Amino acid sequence: MLRAIVVALGLVFAATASAQGGKVTVVTSFSKDVTDPIRKAFEKAVPGTTLEVQNRNTNAGVKFLEETKGNNQVDLFWASAPDAFEVLKGKKLLDAYKPKATGIAEKVGSYPVNDKDGFYSGFAASGYGIMWNDRYVKAKKLPTPKEWQDLAQAPYYDHVSISAPSRSGTTHLTIETILQGEGWDKGWRTVKEIAGNLHQVTDRSFGVPEAVNSGQVGYGIVIDFFAFSSQGGGFPVKFVYPSVTTLVPANIGIVANAPNRAGAEAFIEFLLSPAGQETLLEATIRRLPVRPATYDKAPPDYPNPFKDKNLQGLLTFNAELSETRNAAVDVLFDQLITFQLEPLKAATRTLHEVEAALAKKDNAQARALAKEARDLIAAMPITDAQAASPEIRAAFSGGKEKTARQAELEQQWAAFAKDKYTAAKAKADEALKLVR
Amino acid sequence: MSDHAAAHDPSVRFADTSPSRTPRRGGTRVAHSPGQIALALAIALFLIVFLVAPVATVAYVAFTEKGTGAPTLVNFLDFARTDLFVRSFWNSVYVSAMTVVWASVLALPLAYLTTRFEFRGAALVQTLGFLPLIMPPFVGAVAMQLLFGRNGTVNLLLDEWFDFKIGVMEGLNGVIFLQAIHYFPFILINLSAALRNIDRAMEEAAQNLGSHGFRLFRRIALPLAMPGYVAGASLVFVKVFDDVASPLLLNVKEMLAPQAYLRITSIGIDDPMGYVISVVLIAIAVVTMWGSARVLKGKDYATVQRGGGGLARRRLTRGQSALAYAVVLLVLALVLAPHVGLLLLSFATVWSFSPLPDGYTLAHYARVLGDSSTYIKNTLLYAGLAAAIDVAIGGAIAYLVLRTRLPGRQMLDWLAGAALAVPGVVLGIGYLRAFYGVTLPGGVPMATLWIMIVLAIAIRRLPYALRAAYAALQQISVSLEEAAENLGATKSRTVRRVVIPLMTGGLLAGFVTSFATAAVELSAVLMLVQNNSDAPLSYGLYVLMQTPAGRGAGAALGVIAVVIVAICMGLSQLAIDRSQRNRGLDI
Amino acid sequence: MSGTMSKAVSIDIRGVNLSYGATRILKGIDLSIRPGEFFAFLGPSGCGKTTLLRLIAGFAQAQTGQVLLDGQDVAGLPPWKRDVGMVFQSYALWPHMTVAKNVAFGLEERRLLRREINAKVAEALELVGLAAYADRRPAQLSGGQQQRVAVARTIAIEPKVLLLDEPLSNLDAKMRVSVRRELRALQQRLGLTTIFVTHDQEEANTICDRIAVMEAGTIRQVGTPMELYERPDNLFVAGFLGSANILDGKAVNGVFEVAGGARLPLPGGVQVPAGARLVFRPQHAALSITGALRGPVVHREFLGATVRYGVRVADSEILVDAPFQSGSDLHAVGDTVGIALPSERALYLAA
Repeated sequence: MLRAIVVALGLVFAATASAQGGKVTVVTSFSKDVTDPIRKAFEKAVPGTTLEVQNRNTNAGVKFLEETKGNNQVDLFWASAPDAFEVLKGKKLLDAYKPKATGIAEKVGSYPVNDKDGFYSGFAASGYGIMWNDRYVKAKKLPTPKEWQDLAQAPYYDHVSISAPSRSGTTHLTIETILQGEGWDKGWRTVKEIAGNLHQVTDRSFGVPEAVNSGQVGYGIVIDFFAFSSQGGGFPVKFVYPSVTTLVPANIGIVANAPNRAGAEAFIEFLLSPAGQETLLEATIRRLPVRPATYDKAPPDYPNPFKDKNLQGLLTFNAELSETRNAAVDVLFDQLITFQLEPLKAATRTLHEVEAALAKKDNAQARALAKEARDLIAAMPITDAQAASPEIRAAFSGGKEKTARQAELEQQWAAFAKDKYTAAKAKADEALKLVR
Repeated sequence: MSDHAAAHDPSVRFADTSPSRTPRRGGTRVAHSPGQIALALAIALFLIVFLVAPVATVAYVAFTEKGTGAPTLVNFLDFARTDLFVRSFWNSVYVSAMTVVWASVLALPLAYLTTRFEFRGAALVQTLGFLPLIMPPFVGAVAMQLLFGRNGTVNLLLDEWFDFKIGVMEGLNGVIFLQAIHYFPFILINLSAALRNIDRAMEEAAQNLGSHGFRLFRRIALPLAMPGYVAGASLVFVKVFDDVASPLLLNVKEMLAPQAYLRITSIGIDDPMGYVISVVLIAIAVVTMWGSARVLKGKDYATVQRGGGGLARRRLTRGQSALAYAVVLLVLALVLAPHVGLLLLSFATVWSFSPLPDGYTLAHYARVLGDSSTYIKNTLLYAGLAAAIDVAIGGAIAYLVLRTRLPGRQMLDWLAGAALAVPGVVLGIGYLRAFYGVTLPGGVPMATLWIMIVLAIAIRRLPYALRAAYAALQQISVSLEEAAENLGATKSRTVRRVVIPLMTGGLLAGFVTSFATAAVELSAVLMLVQNNSDAPLSYGLYVLMQTPAGRGAGAALGVIAVVIVAICMGLSQLAIDRSQRNRGLDI
Repeated sequence: MSGTMSKAVSIDIRGVNLSYGATRILKGIDLSIRPGEFFAFLGPSGCGKTTLLRLIAGFAQAQTGQVLLDGQDVAGLPPWKRDVGMVFQSYALWPHMTVAKNVAFGLEERRLLRREINAKVAEALELVGLAAYADRRPAQLSGGQQQRVAVARTIAIEPKVLLLDEPLSNLDAKMRVSVRRELRALQQRLGLTTIFVTHDQEEANTICDRIAVMEAGTIRQVGTPMELYERPDNLFVAGFLGSANILDGKAVNGVFEVAGGARLPLPGGVQVPAGARLVFRPQHAALSITGALRGPVVHREFLGATVRYGVRVADSEILVDAPFQSGSDLHAVGDTVGIALPSERALYLAA
């Protein structure tokens, strides 16, 4: 009944829907600045075809494909975060395709450019790093960072911004990179130490460069092209790749049951063609091409992952591992950091004061207390094995089996973090009393 | 917005719609004509298909057990057991209540001075006072950060001159600040309408008995205008409680609506809590509306009391006048700050960690001019159609509730009102779920048609038009309709020839409110836009605001949006004025 | 209250001119109202009577002139410092307060002790006979009761003068008669200088000591009801108070020639101002066989004690009242009759 009415109503407007023709529909998290030049070049290169761009952030895009899979109208999914593609692949929302283009590197950094099962292909690389507002840093006489660990130092307190990994595919990769690079426990320790200095956790990837560009915060943890395109836009910002980073390809994949499969393939081929790769060098895009030959046409100082020393021998990103604990990492970050930021910052702040006082006058007992406090902060409610365990994965995936509910886990973890941070603050206060 | 027009007015109030409140006791009609029944059924069908069903497809998850899908309430228990949600709930209550307080502080002087006194520029003040409602998403917050943020204009200057900063944009206070500015027009509009209807003799009698100044306001004008105030305040409360955008733009996530939004839109998470929170949000909105209707029951003095004093205004002395203008200018400067910031941003080359932009350029306008014509066309089309649908349905519901005794007519009212509380993202996902599987001949899914965007916006803005329609109909005496029937007009002809013409002003006012706010709607739009050629301005703005180079262009587009909406409002207002004048209502 | 009333005050209005923009509302008003007097401003709507009242209360500002209460110029005082009690035409009872709260309002504004306020409220309500209604809301009262609450609210503050703006206009006819008597009785008891604004001459005549008849922003005549009725100064006053026949004509050699041909001898000593017309009351003329004015009866109205005939003379219709006695013959419409008018009853008035 309902459907019948809806159809009847819809019929009236059916005439307005445009013809399928040579239209290739792509859902992407890339901004207009990126998609427009590429679209224009593509439409010129393949006459008679139009590229229809639907701009959604990575998460909303995945959600959209899920919600509309029964009657899919999208040909391609095009985004940075490889794990979003892993999620889509896992949900059988992608079709395999092996690009015919030649001259594309097998690996960028130490990361394979293409999905081993052929469900998605890399077309550009991006790395993660730290961006800062030069004016802000100069005005407040703050240091310039080199490594992730730098951001955990006292001078950075309340000056750093990050987007929540649950909201931003790129940040998720950043966190996962640190976890893979330093190991679960040490990695979380680093992440939490940096988090103690956060001013804010944004819910959009772009919220971070936006805040750095406006000078609302000094430093942001971002994907490289946000910094490069901000520089391109004239903002007084700088960027550095820490040594524990990874270059990860930005990807494109054909959506299962694509209405215009041929057009989708044509677009992938174009992206990987010399002309397509060259568009990546434009000032508003600034992605790292995966075709090494393209770097010959790059402006000077353009990072070259195939030659630059600091981009060699980087961490090998394990996308499968990332995928198995994807939800757990996101939820842990939210429950331990995003929604416990106040107690975490309070403890961190006191620890910074203790540190400063200890530098002037050492006190073994205070030092021990501070270490205890740091350990309390670093404590994790679950191990990496647990995070990847089927029980915990099922709690987030809505699987058929009856497991703990997500809300229950979240409450447990949040309570755990709050207790630890409060205890850490108490220890730090105690330490501070000793050194004062 | 000229004053008499507003008097008849965009009051977006929760009317107490019990039959005893119809203009004449016992004047409610008893007969149900087939036309009325058909109308009621058609509206019910519309609301079920485009509001209840889509929301139900999403919200039922809240009542199912994980894994098995069996019906359960355990999720609500989880809600109550989770510190984060409880904390978010109280944060939302606090922010909503404080927003009402601050919005009142902003709205009271503006409403009182422009309605009860001879105040030059009252119409302009009322119009400017409406503008904050038309704040394009994203850019508004960016502009506010640049002006009032921790390193915004104000704080950079304060820091330089006096070595201190004010944290108005930090945490919950920031949300309150932003929301109070954004939503205060709802209180301004309702309170002004109520104050305007107070007979001057009511105040003069008090002056005559020795009362003046603030006491006069507190003891006479304010209590008499209380129904309008409560209507506006409860609307602000509900809107703030359900608003996602402003808290998130300030990175405040520990509030209920943002929690719902974040959970619903996060991937890889298949969890009912987002929907549980949505159900809680809807429940709170309905309770608030019901509560305000209870409070107002039998208290609509302002429209009842009329007498010899007329509606003439008092005069201000020279000193009072200077003070009044100072207060009004201060309030306007504050509430229009986002627009000023937006304008600056749209001309700025680079604006980073400095009180003012480094330089100015027209390049952003040049950049968006090409793209924006499609956006503008779509926005006008969507917002216009949505507002027209709202006015038609709102007017019809008001008529059915106030003028008939059809069983279940209250349900229509509550349903339409509940739309206020449905988070845009829930409605958007509901539309995708409910309509994407419905394929039209030619293989096009129903949900991809642009008309779905229109319907979603129309549903979201329906409560505004509905309240305006109530206000308009309540001011029309039943006897006018009885006279028409007495002279041989059928019910439907009476509606067409008497009721609708008399309601025109009020309905147009409802149109303006729905239109203006629909034009900057984003949350539902974001889920439903299928391609750029169907996208409205708000979507174009969202896309631009995701890139560093897009900030200025986004601001330019935002300015264009505000200007266009303002022009449309101005034109509608002219039409309202004319229709009122033709009916001799302005004397 | 009756016992605590301070002495009544006089009201003097001197040379008041008031205009709103280009519209002149009050033109050169001079008026003296005696202490304790029950005074009426009478005139058609738009004559400025309410504005004059509002001027006294402080709700209107004159461009020139003075308002003196008890000899003191009150021009600089805002309404809330004038101690001038006003009852509004709409009563302006506050719907959000009970009757008692309404009455207590002015006393609370004067920061009286709660005990005193309660006593005075009770007294005022007692005075208007509404003691039992103290806890009701205004909407629960009849029109007459509302009016009495409005009066109680005003007199509770023991004002220097009492201003009543068309206080009876919202009441039905029967109610008006009883309420106006109550008002008169109350005023007498309080001895309060009172101004009563009305457009109804009967109201003014029945309860007021003196009346100022106003027209188009000016005072046309001031006097007791009898004076105004018997000896109007001008055509306006004559026409406004009671019914009057007004006939064009001119005075020539001791005779007033009425347009249409009739001639009335002027008694000696009667001065006929330039442009004057003949004015007389219907009850002062009589139908007779003879009479200078003759014409057909064009209508007849039975008024109870009298029968009013309309007689067409030349172009005008003259009203003549004849006492009605049962059994007596009445003239029929169409009969030609004469009108006898004692010359001392004829007035010759200019506009």
